[in-house]
Amino acid sequence: MDRDPLILLIDDEPQILRALKTILSAGHFQVISAVNGEQGIALAVSQSPDVIILDLSLPDMDGIQVCEQIREWSAIPIIVLSVRDSERDKVAALDKGADDYLTKPFSIDELMARIRVALRHSAQSIGNKETVITAGALSIDLARHIATLNGDEIKLTATEFKLLSYLAAHADRVLTHQAILTHVWGFEESDHIEYLRVFIGQLRKKIEIDPDNPQVLVTDPGVGYRFRTVD
Amino acid sequence: MIIGLVTLVLKSFASGLQIQLIALLYLLPVLVCTLFWGLTSGILAGLLSFLAFNFYFIPPYLTLAVHQSQDVITLVVFLIVAVVVSQLIGQARQAEKLARKREWEATRMYELISALAGLTDTQIIIQTLAQKIIETFDFDQVEIIANEQVNGKPVSFCLSKLEVQKKKSDLTLSMFTARNTEGEIRLWLDQNALSLEETRLLAAFSSQGAMAIERVHLMQRENIARILEESDRVKTSLLNSVSHELRSPLAAIKASASSLRSGAVDWNTDAREELITTIDEETDSLNLLVGNLLDMSRIEAGALKPMKRWNSILEIVKGVEAKMRSQLAQHPVEYVFPGNFPLIPTDYVLMGQVFTNLFSNSVKYAPPASHIVVTAETNEGSALIKVINQSPAVAEEHLEHIFDKFYRVTEADKITGTGLGLSICKGIIEAHGGKIWAENQPEGFSFNISLPLTLDGELPKIPKDETDG
Repeated sequence: MDRDPLILLIDDEPQILRALKTILSAGHFQVISAVNGEQGIALAVSQSPDVIILDLSLPDMDGIQVCEQIREWSAIPIIVLSVRDSERDKVAALDKGADDYLTKPFSIDELMARIRVALRHSAQSIGNKETVITAGALSIDLARHIATLNGDEIKLTATEFKLLSYLAAHADRVLTHQAILTHVWGFEESDHIEYLRVFIGQLRKKIEIDPDNPQVLVTDPGVGYRFRTVD
Repeated sequence: MIIGLVTLVLKSFASGLQIQLIALLYLLPVLVCTLFWGLTSGILAGLLSFLAFNFYFIPPYLTLAVHQSQDVITLVVFLIVAVVVSQLIGQARQAEKLARKREWEATRMYELISALAGLTDTQIIIQTLAQKIIETFDFDQVEIIANEQVNGKPVSFCLSKLEVQKKKSDLTLSMFTARNTEGEIRLWLDQNALSLEETRLLAAFSSQGAMAIERVHLMQRENIARILEESDRVKTSLLNSVSHELRSPLAAIKASASSLRSGAVDWNTDAREELITTIDEETDSLNLLVGNLLDMSRIEAGALKPMKRWNSILEIVKGVEAKMRSQLAQHPVEYVFPGNFPLIPTDYVLMGQVFTNLFSNSVKYAPPASHIVVTAETNEGSALIKVINQSPAVAEEHLEHIFDKFYRVTEADKITGTGLGLSICKGIIEAHGGKIWAENQPEGFSFNISLPLTLDGELPKIPKDETDG
């Protein structure tokens, strides 16, 4: 990338804006900000930022609406930052097109990691997709349908591989239960979360070093799962 | 007729008897008539006896004429005695009848009062009243409508012997006490109109019912006042404990931040690192506290609706353990879970909070370097999960109270915390339809949780194993 990535902050709380501007600028990002939804959407159109950081409680409209409106014409990664910590809010935002969700208060390391993941994914959607994804000793070749742990091939059933490759293709992003159930099993609008629990459990036994303390297939409580490549 | 009979009998046997004795014997039917049919028939019988006596037994026989003056006196005395006796007996009978009636009324009243005594629900009161009215008066239908409303509808009850509903009631009584009108009674009488006594008794019934309902309302008001007082006390104690709990981390943050800013601390020392760690950790503890307060208010408002889905308890607990690694540094956690322990319908996040609070409680009271053991088993249709630590035994009288808000076994100053953690656990577990209780163990102390194994009556639909390949 020939310039520093541009980040659009949409948040009406001056303290958060001040802190984030300082921290992100120090981290070699360009930062622009909006204090309400309308202004935020206008800036997203005119400046085409690389990542949008969005608060859900805005004075003029709900952040989820902002998400929906931006998604009508753009795939810019959106990271939601909110004090709303219920799983319902998280799932709603993710279903309406948000790429990730962080609850306030959050740690800056966490936010930086999420921004990097978002940038990587948007870079991939423009250029060539990675076909081999690695997480520690685990390596998944999406094109050849092979998963290896320390170089040894892991025996996976068809469903297990489908599940693993879907998560790996969206590495480091949270995928909601419903999104996974729909993609892997074709369940629309149904709650067969027990399928997911069982298959994730089986996968963890095969790919995790300590299946009871998973480092790769991480649960996002009440929301879904995340395939983690970075700590 | 009786007079005729007596006359016949006397005629056949009495030829030898004296006239005075016959007169006395004639008093007998008068007595009998008064006793059985009342005053009027008694007097009538007296007159008839007088005529028959005169006609058959006083010379000249078979006429009403009287010749001897002695017989005249006998006749007059007989008449007077007959009338007076029948009157006296009649009065005594009426008095007795009245007394019986009074006694019956009093018994019914007593039955009603004892049936109403101690009732604390308006619906049950009006049901009881309606039943007693039907039992006592034998009306066709009774409907009682109280002025109290539940869900926008007045509390009412209808008891009917009619197969076809009549539209309009025959009589409506309003139920009032000295202060209020509490409702009304509608009556569908059978054919007969009410007697004066019945009307009186009915009015007494109605006023007893009204008083019972009023008593319920007064008790409710008193209860509300007591609850308000209690919640006021809770709020004060919450405010005290919260302001203390909020200020402590704030004080640490302020002190650390301001000393970093003042330049009093050298930028490249461990002290600086220490201060920054303090700020970071204290912020987390503030966040946890705010979260607990929010949960508490959700539980209090009944707004805590767990999103129950099939979850692995082991995964939830291990997730909590990983998050609390620094707090649990001194207390290794061990797990005793059967390999086939099923998925339990729970809210992942809320259950996480339960274990966070139980761990944090265990860390506070258990001796350093002691283990915490988490066990799970299934038992008669429910899951039993125990968090066992090695804290000292808690006196039996405290055990059932430790889940109450702000309840503390030790003095508040000696241990940090708001006293909310365990009551939040209780709120969450109960919202899951489960139970939580505490128990002393041979070596230590355990929190026990039981949770239902089914969600909407169903077990998880576990997919069939796929063959590897």
